[in-house]
Amino acid sequence: MIARVFLVLLLAGVGRSYAQGAPPDAGRYSAAVATEWFRLVLPAIQQTPGQSPPVAARTLAVLGLGLYESMVAGMPGRHSFAGQLNELESLPEAQPDEPLHWPTVANATLAALTRMLLPNAPADWMARFDALERNMPVAQPADFNPAERTAEVIIRSETHGRLLAMALMTWARTDGGHDVLGSRRVRLDASYVSPSGLGAWVPTPPRFARPLLPNWGTNRPFMKGLEKCDPPGPPRYDETPASPFHREADEVHRISVHPTEEQRRIALYWADDPGKTPTPAGHWAWILTDLLRDRKADLATAAERYARMGIAMSDAFVATWRVKYAVNLLRPVTFIQLAFDANWVPPLMETPAFPEYPSGHSVQSGAASAVLEAFYGRDTAFEDRTHNDRGWGPKRFKSFRAAAEEAAASRLYAGIHFRSAIEHGTAQGRCIGSRALGLSTR
Amino acid sequence: MLWVGLAILPNLAASVALSAPAVPRFVDETDAAGIQSRFDGDWEYTVGGGVAAFDCDGSGLPSLFIAGGANRSKFYRNRSARGGALKFVTERAGLELTSTLGAYPIDIDGDGVTDLVVLRVGETLLMRGLGDCRFERANERWAFQGGNQWTTAFAAAWLGDEARPTLAFGTYIDRSRQDFPWGNCTDNQLVRPAPGAGVAFTAPRPLKPGHCALGMLFSDWNRSGAPALRVANDREYYKGGQEQLWHIAPGSEPRLYTEAEGWKPLQIWGMGIATTDLDGSGYPAYYLTSMADNKLQVLAHGSAQPEYRDVAFARGVTAHRPFAGGDVHPSTAWHAQFADANNDGWPDLFVVKGNVGNMPDFAMLDPSNLLLGGPDGKYIESATEAGLVNYQRGRGGLLVDLNGDGLLDALIVNRWDRAKIWRNVGAGSAAAPKGMGHWLQVRLRQEGGNRDAVGAWLEVEAGGRVQRREQVIGGGHASGALGFLHVGLGDATTARVRVLWPGARPGDAALTSPWFEASADRSYVLDRRQGLVP
Repeated sequence: MIARVFLVLLLAGVGRSYAQGAPPDAGRYSAAVATEWFRLVLPAIQQTPGQSPPVAARTLAVLGLGLYESMVAGMPGRHSFAGQLNELESLPEAQPDEPLHWPTVANATLAALTRMLLPNAPADWMARFDALERNMPVAQPADFNPAERTAEVIIRSETHGRLLAMALMTWARTDGGHDVLGSRRVRLDASYVSPSGLGAWVPTPPRFARPLLPNWGTNRPFMKGLEKCDPPGPPRYDETPASPFHREADEVHRISVHPTEEQRRIALYWADDPGKTPTPAGHWAWILTDLLRDRKADLATAAERYARMGIAMSDAFVATWRVKYAVNLLRPVTFIQLAFDANWVPPLMETPAFPEYPSGHSVQSGAASAVLEAFYGRDTAFEDRTHNDRGWGPKRFKSFRAAAEEAAASRLYAGIHFRSAIEHGTAQGRCIGSRALGLSTR
Repeated sequence: MLWVGLAILPNLAASVALSAPAVPRFVDETDAAGIQSRFDGDWEYTVGGGVAAFDCDGSGLPSLFIAGGANRSKFYRNRSARGGALKFVTERAGLELTSTLGAYPIDIDGDGVTDLVVLRVGETLLMRGLGDCRFERANERWAFQGGNQWTTAFAAAWLGDEARPTLAFGTYIDRSRQDFPWGNCTDNQLVRPAPGAGVAFTAPRPLKPGHCALGMLFSDWNRSGAPALRVANDREYYKGGQEQLWHIAPGSEPRLYTEAEGWKPLQIWGMGIATTDLDGSGYPAYYLTSMADNKLQVLAHGSAQPEYRDVAFARGVTAHRPFAGGDVHPSTAWHAQFADANNDGWPDLFVVKGNVGNMPDFAMLDPSNLLLGGPDGKYIESATEAGLVNYQRGRGGLLVDLNGDGLLDALIVNRWDRAKIWRNVGAGSAAAPKGMGHWLQVRLRQEGGNRDAVGAWLEVEAGGRVQRREQVIGGGHASGALGFLHVGLGDATTARVRVLWPGARPGDAALTSPWFEASADRSYVLDRRQGLVP
């Protein structure tokens, strides 16, 4: 009896000790590790060769997914996306008996993934990646309490994060979107021949460039069943002046000839050109990052939100590209020059070098706004600071939908898309966003 | 009350000490034994590096074939004295081959002389045993098409009533796509025996999809009497791949087990497979090696469906990082094998480890594991205490009795370094080896094409429980042995032995031998006609 009492006391003591020593879950830490990495990666994307908008969206999606998966064991009640995404069935799990420090895990995962996803980043950016990883514990002392970070915990956390990053990259490398500057990809894309015919896309002035990433639509998307979101198709090609197709071209022409100052500003604000900005997906990731910071989100929340939004945006590009190259519709500049104004060119920007329907900006923005609405509410006003450094911000929006609709309409104002591509694209994007929200984590 | 509690503690400690497995001592005899092999080469030799052990001269002691990668492979005839130091002599046996990755011994033609399947970068070779450790190429003689692939895994089984084996070959990456290996795994190959009395094979049939196989094993997972084919696949390069289990039956198209049948998708860096009846249930468990993600799988809901749960953590065999040497990075595990290294009657686990090459995020000092099992089902890491220390880039390996003393010796093939061999001296020393528990070794024999009774289950009853060994060809990582099945007996000095011959289900009296009485510390042949013969 006495021995039994002693044993009970002994076990109770062990239990207390474990409870006291149990690592806090990821929700107890701030989102700072995640937001600091995204704040660095977004400008890095801007300056990294090969990070065109579809590629950048994939980069952000893998980063977000990796962040989430590396910490899923530290988020009680949540489970992995593995098993729900195409060809991703399982990932290495954290050892149950090895306490991990989740900000350290996140830091290691994001550092490893960033280097693997941006291998072409200029040397100064590579140095910044190293510096951010190294300095994070000093820069974020509230999340990197030395009492929680014994040498052993640091080592375990870093190795778990890197292992997860490697496992995720073994999957990502086979999606068709890896190594876009590699000789294999260049050869593949160079061998693409655009279908010809009435209403078919042709290279556009002034550069008459080859089509961008013509095989991107054959990439493996993250989610299953994206085809269910496909748009209905543009109006039938028709050069008859009163036809629906011609009327849409008329609209593009009319607006471009006499744009309002507001329309000009909107067109430039949402252009999000690669090389000059973090691209459209980066723009929305910037908005999310500011929201996470403003609202003092925790690390677990940030991880799930980056993952869902990244998946939605990347898949929006894959789905868009698949439809674009299947429909292969000509751009407004081609039609307008052919049908009624031989000298017309879009006055604000060059026409992107890929088919018209649907509008990538519209699909992208529709997807992002649908996800953000679910996170923060339908009628939530917010401040967009993406272009503050260019002197264009901050810009306030009354809702995420309003921002997405403005982003979509910007392509009409810019003279590079017809209305159907914009409206159908926004609907397609919102459908894709809702599918990302439908992935189960609980 | 406190003093009562404190008084209990020593007893608890004693209890723990009593349950700790006895640690065998291994002595590195690489130089003295005359082993001079290196597994060298670049990209195409990142995997492989196997060894085969087999008795080719009737001495009862296994000789060795060690793959060389870019070097020539070597054959070593076993000249060890029984119970003495390990001694091997390099001989020209016809096995001095280029581009070798590994090998498995198998008696393909049923003549009682062991043949050898040699896995290569390039053509796979079937080497026919001629006796007295001489071999000749037999691809043409047996109508075997060896292809020109990067062949990295092998398993064989005699299916149904077939007199000749069905051969399964695992392949890795398309050799023409080295510029972008990801997503370019090649199909595996299934080679069936051709109809007729002679030894001949049909053209290889693809096992689609292939997912860069690094381990294969025919094993009777549900004790149905018919084996299925497990394939360990390397997630590093496949697209949409996973671990696989195939239905392979005579006269039927191969078919993957599906989720509807209970198979659960699992993606790991699959490198090797080991099997044992872990808990006396009569069903095999499987240890799958990976990069810091090793799994020990047991049936989750009985034998009705191949749904497995991972008990690696519960059993203490995650082996996910180095246990010694100070390197803190994740481990890379390759060959794995269950065997009783200390003869205590509980299976131990040997895991050969080593960095792929110079991968900075994985351990460079990655010692191989010797995990000693005990009656509580837990495993204790003991390689350092045992002296079985290998910090090189281990690949293939074996635990096998090389000097006939009933103690399993060890061999590891290292990439970019020498292969190493250790003599197990039990509780003694090199000068004075001393046995640990008792043991028994049984070689199965039967008439017909399947002379070694591949697919049979040996059962040994001793100390009030039954241990089982499945006679398999395949598994591990590019390494295999054929010969005596070794069973540790612990304190038992006698045992009862029987065999469920190939095709038998538990309880199938027609295919099950009677129980035979056996004395410990001896090697026997259990012949289907003659019974147990010393």
